[in-house]
This record gives sequence, C-alpha cells and structure tokens, in this order.
Amino acid sequence: MDSLIPFTTSGALVDCVDRKMLVVLRDGRKLHGVLRSYDQFANLVLEDTVERIYHGNAFAEHWHGLFLIRGENVVLLGEIDLDQEDDIPLRQVDYNVLDPYHKMDIADRKGREDFKARVLYEQKGFCKEGGEGDGY
Amino acid sequence: MLPLSLLSAAQNKPMLVELKNGETFNGHLVNCDNFMNITLREVYQTSADGDRFWKLKECYIRGSTVTCAQIKYLRVPDTLLDSVKEEQARAREASRSARGAGPGSRGGPCLYFHALPRI
Repeated sequence: MDSLIPFTTSGALVDCVDRKMLVVLRDGRKLHGVLRSYDQFANLVLEDTVERIYHGNAFAEHWHGLFLIRGENVVLLGEIDLDQEDDIPLRQVDYNVLDPYHKMDIADRKGREDFKARVLYEQKGFCKEGGEGDGY
Repeated sequence: MLPLSLLSAAQNKPMLVELKNGETFNGHLVNCDNFMNITLREVYQTSADGDRFWKLKECYIRGSTVTCAQIKYLRVPDTLLDSVKEEQARAREASRSARGAGPGSRGGPCLYFHALPRI
C-alpha cells in the first residue's frame, strides 16, 4: 500500500523532494535548484536556485537563492542527473555578457510568435491567445 | 514544510515578488493567505523593463497574478525554521493528547498528510 503513494495526487512529487531539479517556467526561465517542498497545486519551494540562460554555444548562470514558485507558472519539472550534470558541451561565460544576447533571442522569438498568432487569427480563423502567452 | 507554510513563516521578512507581467515588488511581507494573496509594506515597485520605479507604503497583490515569490535575501535563521517545526510538533502533541483524553473511537490510520515529507 505504501508503494502506491507516488501515484496519488498528493504524493505525486514525493520522489522528487531533496533532489536537484530543472524547472521550466511559462515565461521561458530555466531554473535549477533543490526541490524542498510542494503542495497540491504544484507550488514549489526550490533552494539554491540558479537561473541559466543559453545563447549559441555558451551559457551563463545567475544565483537566486530560495524560491517559492506558484504552481500554475510551471511548465515542467525534470530531475538532474548529478553524474552527467557537468558534461556540458557549451562553454560558461559571465551572466552580464550573455544577458543582452539572451534578451535579443527572447525579443526575436516573441516577434515571430506574435506574427504567427496574427496570421493564424486573421487568415486561418484561430482565436487569440490569452494575454501573456508562453515564453518557452 | 509546505510552500504556503514557508510563506507564512516569512512574515515581516524582506522579499521580492515577481508578477506574471514581469513587474517586481521588493518589500516586507505583512500577511498572506491560502490563495497566496499577499500584502507588503515599504515596497519598491519596478516595471517589467526595469526602467520605472515607484515607492509604495503598502500594497496588496492577488495570488493569481504572482509568478514566483523570490525570497531573495530572506535571512532565514535556521533557528526560525527549527522554531516553526518545534511549534508544529508541540501543536501536534497538544491535539493528540486532547484527542486521547476525549471520548470516541480513534478510527483507522490516515494516509494523507503523513505521506508528505516534512522539512
């Protein structure tokens, strides 16, 4: 009976607690941190959170500390394999160096999505997305 | 400790709250509720682009608009976390002894929250 707990709604994330996880948020942010706690809405408490941004063959990190994330903003949660964690084929650079490129990427992507949404709305009869859209 | 319990335990601590539209609010937590609605005081509000700033004495933020409450510089003394855990343990002891003393049957074991890990 005890082994069925991971299949219940309240015990769904019990196997992820105290593990290093990757959290992708709806605004496109990728956060790495140790999952400390969760609740029925998938609100998460993430400790030692690091935000990572990518551009080309480089990546950068920014330490954020203790995070309480509202569950509805989470796209996915993935466990990080600590053995493979450091085998990254990209080179690490300073956050301030990569940030402008990252913001440029986001703006480009947003432009493309907006254009796509407009075409779908005007020509194909799709309805408009609800407000904030999804940055990921 | 459940996420909302952590938030309640952070009352009077400084924190940063980011909204879904990207605006950030830096202030001290006055109160919060189960819907994650929060009130902050001595708040510095920053627009999403980071170019405009406001200072607010108090503000109320509806839970549904929050992305993440980034408890950045929460000086969580481990003593605070321990004292909250102690309180919870004491409360549990108190209710357990009260139930034991009272009449009525005890029923079967309850699986729900005993299954959740406590930190």
